Amino acid sequence: MNLSARMIVVLTVVGLISGSLLAVVGMLTKDRIAFNKQQEIEAAILEVVPGTEISKEVFTEKNFTIYSGKNRDGNLIGYAVYTSGTGFQDIISLMFGTDPNVTKINSLSILEQKETPGLGAKITDKELFLRFWDNKDAGSAISLRKPAVRSQDELAPNEVNTITGATISSDKVLSIVNQSLEKLKQLKKAGKLISEENDAE
Amino acid sequence: MPSKSVGAEYIKGLWEENPVFRQLLGMCPTLAVTNAVINGIAMGLATSFVLILSSLVVSALKKLIPSQVRIASYIVIIATFVTIADRFMAAFFPPISKSLGPYIPLIVVNCIILGRQEAFSSKNSVGRSLIDALGMSTGFILALLVLSSIREILGMGTFLGHQVMGAWFKPWIIMILPAGAFITLGILLAVALVIESKTKTRKN
Repeated sequence: MNLSARMIVVLTVVGLISGSLLAVVGMLTKDRIAFNKQQEIEAAILEVVPGTEISKEVFTEKNFTIYSGKNRDGNLIGYAVYTSGTGFQDIISLMFGTDPNVTKINSLSILEQKETPGLGAKITDKELFLRFWDNKDAGSAISLRKPAVRSQDELAPNEVNTITGATISSDKVLSIVNQSLEKLKQLKKAGKLISEENDAE
Repeated sequence: MPSKSVGAEYIKGLWEENPVFRQLLGMCPTLAVTNAVINGIAMGLATSFVLILSSLVVSALKKLIPSQVRIASYIVIIATFVTIADRFMAAFFPPISKSLGPYIPLIVVNCIILGRQEAFSSKNSVGRSLIDALGMSTGFILALLVLSSIREILGMGTFLGHQVMGAWFKPWIIMILPAGAFITLGILLAVALVIESKTKTRKN
């Protein structure tokens, strides 16, 4: 066999074997990866809409999904919004929960982030950041308290705390939540959150 | 080269030809993921998996692959194992997979791996390549372990997530930032050079 033919044959065969091996690995791990993702989302829904027994996707578009949370009796107890947006370094994926009428935010949970370790990454810290998001008034847009304060009582009902040294990350989280909150309110007003109609079943 | 004993072939990866401290290869993952010990270990293991299997396959196929397309073939072989490692971690160790992020797929272009295929596996038997890959992997894991231990202890006051420093200790945030990686690596390289030059003068 001359050289060019051998080169073509070797590369083709290597490519084919590698491709088929990866196809098998992909098939074997696909379900498991999807399952992990699903579990992560379910755990987050439970965290931001406590008491959820049944959750259902009621609205979805690119990087924006709304889940309805219902208790055991099938009554709507809140919505969980799963969304993402740009952070200081990379995409931040988060989920926040509201009551059924979207008048208050229950709490916030960060699912994925690649902010600066030790600074921006504190957005996942309960003590420093997330607890200041509990039970916020969602009647108007949420705003950021700068400079940071120490206790929840010093904040206005629609105000959240900044992380000292990571103002940009705090601000990015805030704008992601505010945008999605606005969207959620509009969808709610327009009656696009179809879960109510499915209650009969 | 065949004159080297099996033990020496393995040991050389630990110090004499340590990929990080002596050859200065694979600096990108070394600097990027050593902010916590668990990340360093996971990265070391994933790289070892790829290095060992690629070395085995490349040394087994060395007669079949024409030298003009060897790099392309090596990269396809390496990329296959990297993707397997990546999917496997995403499926079974989701938290680690998440914290390592894009650095797992980037093992494809880690020069330790391609470097060993070029410098060793493509010229030696399957057995010797395996020993060489094991030695290099151990050297790489050790280097990452040292680096990440220093950075995690000084940067967060923890080791593998457990608090090891007392309450008096104020974490040096800089150690878990990129600058800390460069500073730590620089100091370790200097130490390695000093030790190397000391042992050399003693031999002479």
